[in-house]
Amino acid sequence: MISTTTNAAEPRLSSKMRVEDLDVYYGDFQAIKSASIEIPENCVTALIGPSGCGKSTFIRALNRMHDLSPNVRVEGTVSLDGEDIYARDVDPVSIRHRIGMVFQRANPFPKSIYENVVYGPKIHGLGKRAQLNEVCERSLRRAALWDEVKDRLHRSALDLSGGQQQRLCIARVLAVEPEVILMDEPASALDPIATSKIEDLISELKDEFTVVIVTHSMQQAARISEFTAFFLMGDLIEVGKTSDVFTKPKDTRTEDYITGRYG
Amino acid sequence: MTTIAQAEPLLARRRVASRRRFADLAATGVLWMAACSIVLLLVFFIAYLFYLGAGVVSWHFLTAPPSEITAGGGIGPQIFNSFYILFLTMLFTVPIAMGSGIYLQEYARPGVFTTAVQFCAESLATIPSIVMGLFGLIVFVTLLHWHFTALGGALTLTLLNLPALMRVTQEGLSSVPLIMREGSMALGATKWQTIRRVVLPSAIAPLTTGIVLVAGRIFGETAALIYTAGVSVSAGRSAYDWSPFHTAETLSVHLWYTHSEGLVPDAARIGNGSALVLLVMVLIFNILARVLGRLLSRRLTGK
Repeated sequence: MISTTTNAAEPRLSSKMRVEDLDVYYGDFQAIKSASIEIPENCVTALIGPSGCGKSTFIRALNRMHDLSPNVRVEGTVSLDGEDIYARDVDPVSIRHRIGMVFQRANPFPKSIYENVVYGPKIHGLGKRAQLNEVCERSLRRAALWDEVKDRLHRSALDLSGGQQQRLCIARVLAVEPEVILMDEPASALDPIATSKIEDLISELKDEFTVVIVTHSMQQAARISEFTAFFLMGDLIEVGKTSDVFTKPKDTRTEDYITGRYG
Repeated sequence: MTTIAQAEPLLARRRVASRRRFADLAATGVLWMAACSIVLLLVFFIAYLFYLGAGVVSWHFLTAPPSEITAGGGIGPQIFNSFYILFLTMLFTVPIAMGSGIYLQEYARPGVFTTAVQFCAESLATIPSIVMGLFGLIVFVTLLHWHFTALGGALTLTLLNLPALMRVTQEGLSSVPLIMREGSMALGATKWQTIRRVVLPSAIAPLTTGIVLVAGRIFGETAALIYTAGVSVSAGRSAYDWSPFHTAETLSVHLWYTHSEGLVPDAARIGNGSALVLLVMVLIFNILARVLGRLLSRRLTGK
């Protein structure tokens, strides 16, 4: 559980999402074992751990992306503002509208930059050209991409560089105004300069959004997150304030990982 | 002693090595010749048909109605009928084949129904076209009392080509990476929105190529049409007949007919000309498929 101390400098945080006893199975293999965590609002929560520890599996359970894979089973509760997103009467489509996701590999649609950004607003019913233009510019500005693409909005998104494509994907998510943004190793395929741009962007986004980010880079987690969760072989070992997890971990396994004993 | 003992295996090794190199060379040569023979066959075939048919094809030949008894008939109405039946066939085939292809690829989960659809499609694909023609004869011509009709022919061709186009659709859709679908779903799009706005546009190049190739096959199909669309070009006063309920002999059927049952004295001439026109048309379909596919994918990726 996240320990939040109440002192004057640090107001008590309300949790945006709450995960209780989450199990995820791929067929017979259990990839996540009874994980529980609270995701505080307007903060960046980093999920770290070695490859194959289940952090990507975990984050995909937070907006029901596993629904798309036929042999994945999710058990336990995941709630958004106190409402169970896996409840029977909940539409997964509306959940994904409220909880957006950015993927490891930039995946712009084979359309123009403009069409990529307004894709979400359009499918949610926004039709007026002026409004779409406004959403497009605002989203691209927030994703720190506007100045680089404003003269070629109607050119193919596939002509952009890898880092630009990833920021376009972030802009595309921002355009639908989600409450939570999930990021699955968004900078792992990018060079250091593009990575630092994405990191700056994430730090700004938390003012308006709740961000959960999977990263294999501990430095990245330390730089951008307020809270860190450490996964190992499907177990959620430790959750806490990032500074605590990195400087005084409670679990020896966390300490072993952070000090580089797991490679 | 020692020098000979060392030299012998070295020589043997060299012999083995040179034998291997020869085998490698020979294999390369044989495979290259096999590949070349395909090109040569096609070139020879086209050249020969041009040699036979080039003198026959003229504006008159391409537009004039056929003649039953006397020499000098053209193939105008047959060309018209070929396109007309192609159009009717695509009208039925494309929606059904694409619909079932989309369903199987995007919606169906493994189960009895999916297996059944897949099995039926595969069985349908193995039916010889002449058998399909006889089926059309029984159902459309006899049972429904339509007699020989363009519509009956088109429906028979639909049955014949549904599986191929369904497979084209499935393959086109499966070429779109999962990450595209996930990107759309993660923005709160429904499955259908994702398919319509992301998956289908991304697959437009392979889909177009596949559709045009199937169209080329339909254009050249003969056996399935002989007993369904008939061997007369029209039932009306004009040789160009727009009614789907009238008989409609296509170019390929005409080619077969003049050679096997025709009474005209210049059957060989008409046959050569028709064959050349048919070949050129089908080649155009193939080239069109490649050009369209490349053009569309280039436009989409913006390169």
